[in-house]
Amino acid sequence: MAMTLIEKVLARCAGQDRVRSGEVVWVRPDLVTVPEVAFPAYVKRLRGVGFERFADPEKVVVAIDHEVPAHSQAGAERNRLTRQLAREMSVGHMFDSEGITHPLIIERGLVRPGDFVAAADSHTAVIGGAGAVGVPFGFETALLMATGKIWVMVPETIRVTLTGKPRPGVGARDIALATMQHLNETDASYRLLEFTGDGISQIPFWDRMTLCGLCIDIGAKSAVVPADDVACEALAELGVANPEREASDPDAHFVQEVAIDLSTLEPLVSVPPSPTHVRRVSDMRGTAIHHAYLGSCASGTLEDLRAADALLAGHKVKEGVKLLVIPSTRKTYQRAMEEGILARFTDAGATVLAPTCGPCFGGLAQLCAGERRISTSTRNDPGRMGSTEAEIFLGSALTVTASAITGHICGAGDIGKARHDGSV
Amino acid sequence: MMEAYKGTCWKLPDGVSSDQLIGPSHVFDFEAETLRKHLLEEVDPRIAAEAKPGDVLVAGRNFAQGSNHSHPFIAMKAMGLGLLCRSISRGPYRLTIFMGVPILTITEEIYTALEHRSRIEVDFTTGDIKALDMGAEFHAEALPLHLLEIVTAGGGFEHAKAQEQEQNPQ
Repeated sequence: MAMTLIEKVLARCAGQDRVRSGEVVWVRPDLVTVPEVAFPAYVKRLRGVGFERFADPEKVVVAIDHEVPAHSQAGAERNRLTRQLAREMSVGHMFDSEGITHPLIIERGLVRPGDFVAAADSHTAVIGGAGAVGVPFGFETALLMATGKIWVMVPETIRVTLTGKPRPGVGARDIALATMQHLNETDASYRLLEFTGDGISQIPFWDRMTLCGLCIDIGAKSAVVPADDVACEALAELGVANPEREASDPDAHFVQEVAIDLSTLEPLVSVPPSPTHVRRVSDMRGTAIHHAYLGSCASGTLEDLRAADALLAGHKVKEGVKLLVIPSTRKTYQRAMEEGILARFTDAGATVLAPTCGPCFGGLAQLCAGERRISTSTRNDPGRMGSTEAEIFLGSALTVTASAITGHICGAGDIGKARHDGSV
Repeated sequence: MMEAYKGTCWKLPDGVSSDQLIGPSHVFDFEAETLRKHLLEEVDPRIAAEAKPGDVLVAGRNFAQGSNHSHPFIAMKAMGLGLLCRSISRGPYRLTIFMGVPILTITEEIYTALEHRSRIEVDFTTGDIKALDMGAEFHAEALPLHLLEIVTAGGGFEHAKAQEQEQNPQ
């Protein structure tokens, strides 16, 4: 009988020939990721109930990525303890200040198409861009590390078929937000989103991470773009040995179908108080901003930095606006430095920092009451970046950069027009 | 067996987010005694100050939406609170059970009927709900047995340890 991609993935991890949606199965994930935010607390709790070892330590990835560099004594101690405990527990991979976990494990060739990755952190769905499935489990990840297995309910799959070619200035963020306009949390809850269709070929490999990562904020279990030739070639270059396509069977059952014609999309933005409150950028034009942030696991890729750099060419960040740029991994930072991108950012008035999750959850660059930021990060709940009386808008790297240039929310197309009439 | 929860009903609206349950500034803190002081402080500070073991949060749709943070459920467990909600997505649903906080999903009718700060009794094992001040009774579907076992054991760690001891008695 035909199976969806996620049914195939979970059947393999459960050691069964097949599983059906709705079934509860015990699985052994291919990889388990935990940031330093939680790792010491997890180990302490495990030791408190007598679990002294991890079942499959070679599968465990620990990353110091949330408070980098440490800017508090508590953070310094947490990072020190994380390094110590990672050694004591013999984890397979320890990344210290090398980037944000989700893009980092792809960059280091640790993720294969069809893998099942269990994570402590919410936005692990990012890895769906590599054709794998990442699911967050929060504190339960601790027990998973001790026992090596976890129960999961096999989700139903919603197929999102993308067709056509997006217009200039429209990217993966806009496609994710358009998906949110089609699905509410009742549709998405407990379900996996699978993106398919000829429009996928229009989405560069790293942009697919943005597309999948943001779907967790609709309330989906996860999201995936089944690996195609583009993904397999990119993964092979990253050191994945013989990456193979893993896809749903042609006659697999999808619980819901959504079709999006990419050629009809325009730049979109999430407005407070939730990522799912989606508006057209053109409808928000003129909303003044004080801060702009380009980074997080949902952006900060070399492709996003290059696109922002190209848009910024010849412009300065608007006086009174603070543009913060954080490449998502150290390698990305290095490449952007070598290409002169970071120098041009700072020349335009931006501040560039080393890879960290920081601003996304208010761990860095907080906002005070009355301030407004447009950001490429993941969430915009009140208080997410400091004051509950600050406002956060979420948009693509192009939308964020364009807004930083003009000082109000606008799209990349507005910069082109402004360039033409000399108003910027 | 888990005894019925008997206490005050604290009603919450639809869409209370994970960040509203406990603000992201506490993301690095996993100490229950600290977290319980901040539970829902932006929504209703009386809950952290006045709620007692046996009290029940009665929430609307899409409870704890947003980041998959464990912190609110660590606080709720430490405070001895139960949870009724109209709906909850998979991440927080799992965390509720894993932390040993009993939960039932309820209908709109039950949600509407239950009054803020009224007296309530909930048997999470059977799904029976009594609105004591109104003299009304309702029923919701109880947790599947394998999840109820985790909650009854006190949470995922305790359940796993008990299972291990059962399989390998000293």
